[in-house]
Amino acid sequence: MAYAYLFKYIIIGDTGVGKSCLLLQFTDKRFQPVHDLTIGVEFGARMITIDGKQIKLQIWDTAGQESFRSITRSYYRGAAGALLVYDITRRDTFNHLTTWLEDARQHSNSNMVIMLIGNKSDLESRREVKKEEGEAFAREHGLIFMETSAKTASNVEEAFINTAKEIYEKIQEGVFDINNEANGIKIGPQHPTTNSTLPGSQGGQQAGGGCC
Amino acid sequence: MFGRSRGWVGGQGKTKNIHSLDHLKHVYNVLTKNTTVTDHNRNLLVETIRSITEILIWGDQNDSSVFDFFLEKNMFAFFLNILRQKSGRYVCVQLLQTLNILFENISHETSLYYLLSNNHVNSIIVHKFDFSDEEIMAYYISFLKTLSLKLNNHTVHFFYNEHTNDFALYTEAIKFFNHPESMVRIAVRTITLNVYKVDNQHMLHYIRDKTAVPYFSNLVWFIGSHVIELDKCVQTDEEHKNRGKLSDLVAEHLDHLHYLNDILIINCEFLNDVLTDHLLNRLFLPLYVYSLVTPETSEDRKINPQVSLYLLSQVFLIIHYRPLVSALADVILNGDLSVFTPQTDLHKITASAGGVRRFTKPPESLERSLELSRHRGRKRTQKRPNYKNLGEDEDEDRAGGGAGSGGGGGVQEGWDDDGRGGEREGGREREKGKGTEGGGGGGSSKASKASGETAEEIEMVVMEKCKVPELTEQNITDEEKTAAATRTHAQRSRPFLDMVYSALDCSNDDYHALFVLCLLYAVSHSQGINRDLLERLQLPVPEQERSSYSLVLVERLIRVMSQAAQPDGRVRLATLELSCLLLKQSVLSGNQCIIKDVHLACLEGAREESLHLLRRFYKGEEIFLDMFEDEYRSMTSKPLNVEYLMMDASVLLPPTGTPLTGIDFVKRLPCGDVEKTRRAIRVFFMLRALSLQLQGEPETQLPLTRPEDLIKTDDVLDLNNSDLIACMVVSKDGGQAQRFLAVDVYQMSLVEPESKRLGWGVVKFAGLLQDMQVSGVEDDSRALNIVIHKPSSNPHAKPLPILQANFIFADHIRCIIAKQRLAKGRIQARRMKMQRIAALLDLPVQPGASEVLGFGQTANASPSGLPFRFYEQSRRAPNDPTANRSVFASVDKVPGFAVAHCVSQHSPSPLSSPSPPSSGSGSTGRCDSVTASTISAQSPTDDGTFLEHAPPSSSGVDGDGGGGGAALAPSAPSTPVLAPSLTPASQPTISLLTDNHTDALSVESLTLLPPADPPHMHPCASYVPATHCLQRPDASITEEDEKAERGDEEPQEEDSLTMDETETDATVKEENTTMELITPTEEGPEMAEGNEQEGDGDAAAGADEQGGDSLTAGESAEAEDAEQHPGETLDSPELD
Repeated sequence: MAYAYLFKYIIIGDTGVGKSCLLLQFTDKRFQPVHDLTIGVEFGARMITIDGKQIKLQIWDTAGQESFRSITRSYYRGAAGALLVYDITRRDTFNHLTTWLEDARQHSNSNMVIMLIGNKSDLESRREVKKEEGEAFAREHGLIFMETSAKTASNVEEAFINTAKEIYEKIQEGVFDINNEANGIKIGPQHPTTNSTLPGSQGGQQAGGGCC
Repeated sequence: MFGRSRGWVGGQGKTKNIHSLDHLKHVYNVLTKNTTVTDHNRNLLVETIRSITEILIWGDQNDSSVFDFFLEKNMFAFFLNILRQKSGRYVCVQLLQTLNILFENISHETSLYYLLSNNHVNSIIVHKFDFSDEEIMAYYISFLKTLSLKLNNHTVHFFYNEHTNDFALYTEAIKFFNHPESMVRIAVRTITLNVYKVDNQHMLHYIRDKTAVPYFSNLVWFIGSHVIELDKCVQTDEEHKNRGKLSDLVAEHLDHLHYLNDILIINCEFLNDVLTDHLLNRLFLPLYVYSLVTPETSEDRKINPQVSLYLLSQVFLIIHYRPLVSALADVILNGDLSVFTPQTDLHKITASAGGVRRFTKPPESLERSLELSRHRGRKRTQKRPNYKNLGEDEDEDRAGGGAGSGGGGGVQEGWDDDGRGGEREGGREREKGKGTEGGGGGGSSKASKASGETAEEIEMVVMEKCKVPELTEQNITDEEKTAAATRTHAQRSRPFLDMVYSALDCSNDDYHALFVLCLLYAVSHSQGINRDLLERLQLPVPEQERSSYSLVLVERLIRVMSQAAQPDGRVRLATLELSCLLLKQSVLSGNQCIIKDVHLACLEGAREESLHLLRRFYKGEEIFLDMFEDEYRSMTSKPLNVEYLMMDASVLLPPTGTPLTGIDFVKRLPCGDVEKTRRAIRVFFMLRALSLQLQGEPETQLPLTRPEDLIKTDDVLDLNNSDLIACMVVSKDGGQAQRFLAVDVYQMSLVEPESKRLGWGVVKFAGLLQDMQVSGVEDDSRALNIVIHKPSSNPHAKPLPILQANFIFADHIRCIIAKQRLAKGRIQARRMKMQRIAALLDLPVQPGASEVLGFGQTANASPSGLPFRFYEQSRRAPNDPTANRSVFASVDKVPGFAVAHCVSQHSPSPLSSPSPPSSGSGSTGRCDSVTASTISAQSPTDDGTFLEHAPPSSSGVDGDGGGGGAALAPSAPSTPVLAPSLTPASQPTISLLTDNHTDALSVESLTLLPPADPPHMHPCASYVPATHCLQRPDASITEEDEKAERGDEEPQEEDSLTMDETETDATVKEENTTMELITPTEEGPEMAEGNEQEGDGDAAAGADEQGGDSLTAGESAEAEDAEQHPGETLDSPELD
């Protein structure tokens, strides 16, 4: 289970936008999304590979803890990446993005990578927020944007991995101080990973995860 | 990583109905067949557990029989069984995740109850997982967190067992309160908060009695350790290298405070009591407050006073829990060192602290404390426990059955090390409070018993300890209050308050002062602090009626301001802004300003200093205007947010000047000339605004461009007789429109004809000339490229063009005309603004002021001949809503001067009091080299009125002259003119003191001296002769002197004048030649008007006021005279 880096993510957004489902979908694909069953989870971890390096993602959902200021504050601060999620079938969840973003920007470290996610893209018929609007919002605020569906697993993988790539690039550029764990990045136990063996086995795992 | 195990169960064969009772039964069979975990069945088991979760959730949402089966077969027991085997990480993780998912997704309460019954969950909670594995740790703590989110008054019974006094969810969680992984700590905090939130008395009693003391004492120690680390980080910093780490530690401290605040606002009273006690007596007082006064070498464990001030500000900004912050504030503002000394003083409850207030490490780890307390609890379940008798055996022995305060000590002792138990025990806060009669020490069991009998069980007396018996007077008059405040201040030792006030001294730097100001701000804004306390000390309470204020504080604030206005002042802008805020808070009561004249005079002195400071930087360059306006924008658009300021770790390090640190400009000193200029501008703005507000006068001159004065899109204008040039406007995105270009004083506008009225036009676009760039178009001689940028308050933001277009004219002649008009308009607009700045600074106005845009100014006499102008409401269409707002009521003003002139009518404040020099008599000779020679001829005739309103900024002589002591020598023989704060002490304050006691400066402020003649000050005959004549109650007396002096001054002036002229813009000069002839006629009426108004008004008062603003004590009237031409004498060096 050795990894080169560990990235901590948080997922934020209004309740009911499907944060915990996204999280479960990404971390444990064996839970198949079925139409009469919604399952989510508040914490998950998964290994991915970027640039031949093993990277562990730890994702913390902050749902249900909004009433405590100290908690949200600390969560933001401890994360290297944030997924800001809204529901494309509910306009209000999109309207609240500004507030979420302000909070995030205020409490997080300035390098935190924020990805904007319009979830429930499978419900095209009930769509209230155009994809272009999401794109525009993301452009305006310097976010990465993607529409996903936790139900069909569309883009879920990409959302998490693209965020990780962005963080990884920032590390390469030296923007992140990786020795400071308060940034939500941790260097793995054995940093010089034996790249030859591990990626292979990881690839196998991922393939296994992806085939369902 | 779970992928490998897919398809083991249910798999391909039974895909039809994974979600069904049948499938659960099948899975159950798998479980029964694999009760022992082996390498072979590991994956199978994991998948089995996973699919059980899935079915259960499906069942919760669809089919309750699933749950019945689950319970019936007691399948949780299988989970436990698997866990208890050395099943390894893989299985553990899967199990924990399964449980997470299960509890997270269960929606029916009954399902939840099913899952929680049988105590299986508690068994899992106490299972000793391998917590060194970070993944297991993360899943485990998430599991606990998920459970805690399900807590409510009903479900709590599944977790908290009243009979066995067990609450595994809580006690297991808090063991990780100081886990190195931040996410784990956050989860622990979430869990604790979720627990405290549940309103179940039994459970909360348990928490308080069995866990609160161990947990809070450890928590407090943990926070304190961070604080010490933070302090070390500050101490060892070199060259700001520790900033990154420091900002983490600061954020950590903020997290702690927010967490504490979150607990406190749940408002569980008896938990809060324990927490308050610990915070106050084991952290805030001994570590933070005590550090304010301890000498550097005294104690090993102390933090720097500036760190402690900073942290205390954070405390007050974040925590508003009344008992806590009131007590803390009381000690700081009112307490003395006896708080920390162990002594038995029956009269002073405060003093009986018995040496408790220590920041000490809890003797045991939290885990061990909890264990011990658990055992004890078991042993004595009969006894209704409360946190006071929470028991030790010895405690019980000593205090007998006394459930009194003796127990309070016992708690301590229980987990304190034996070595110091006695001492500590004696000092338990609550004991001390209650045990007052018993001798307060409480060290003996007898005392404990005695007090124990009278003590109520739960009541906390923490809060009372700081009550000071004296100063309880009510209904006293303000005078008495003031007197009392000073008296008690003198009599009673208040080392903390003294320290706080003395740290306001900015003569070296404002490192400490900034924090003190923040602290005072935070204290005065705290909702939790007793208003009485603040009022008693006359600290500023916002928005409260009062009639007195703290002289000490106000004088120190003013001194900060005055230091900020010094050329080499080491006061940062943030400090100054806060001082202004606090001063306003102190002396503004409702709509009234209760500031004493002396103080107002001092403040005016500071303002005047800032004016002189700015003059040193005033340059005729374009960039000055941009900076000036930009600073105004950023000042008004971003007022200081104290909370944010105190979140910034960078202020914790000694103030620095270099922008390379990335520290915000307002939080550091200026670097280089440009920043020094900006700073001077800001200081000027702030003090000016403060001065105006305190005197109840409206700001009429700033900003230089007020949005309401500008032409806006859709305004309808009378354009008869205006120069209009038709053109085609081709915008960047390809849009085309036929428009007429009109150039106004400050703006260019594009209009289209109004359909209803001939000769009127509707504005389609209006933009500021000063922000415009005009350039030719390469291949088209009829076209111009015009770009107008939006002035932005954020210097880093990319300038945003509001217009970017090509104007195509009918022929190249018109194009050239337009180009010239625009270019000239731009220059003129800027120059006019520069002149208004100059007027603000009492500087002479450069020539060319009256030449506006090259319009035929001779036509000025008749309104009809004027170009349309923004401030002429008569030219606005009647339906224009903005028209009535304009304060510039009269039409026949000269453009650019109207504003200033207007001010001179409204506000006699010194800055604006003279109608700007250009329109005053000075216009005849002050600036124009050509007419300079007329000064001498003119001055005699003018003198009478001239003197009344001429800018009397004598102290500027030295300020501007670059240490021009020479210039002053003849005029100020008695005292060198220094900044008010620098003036030696042989100053008239003494006479002020005798004059009116309440109006005087307090003794300790002897170095803070008002300018000699504050407005409305009573004339002091005693010193007037010595200093010639300071004020001019009657101008006639001084007039002769002035005339005499004048003769001396004149030649100098002329010299510098010529120099002055040569330095100014060459182009300006060229244009001027035509205008100079016109000037007198133009300005004649205006000038007369201005003079008349000044003259008509209370001449003496006016002079008084002007003098008060500008003159320092030793200055003579001659000095004033010299000032009447400040520009000539002073500015030539600046313009170089």
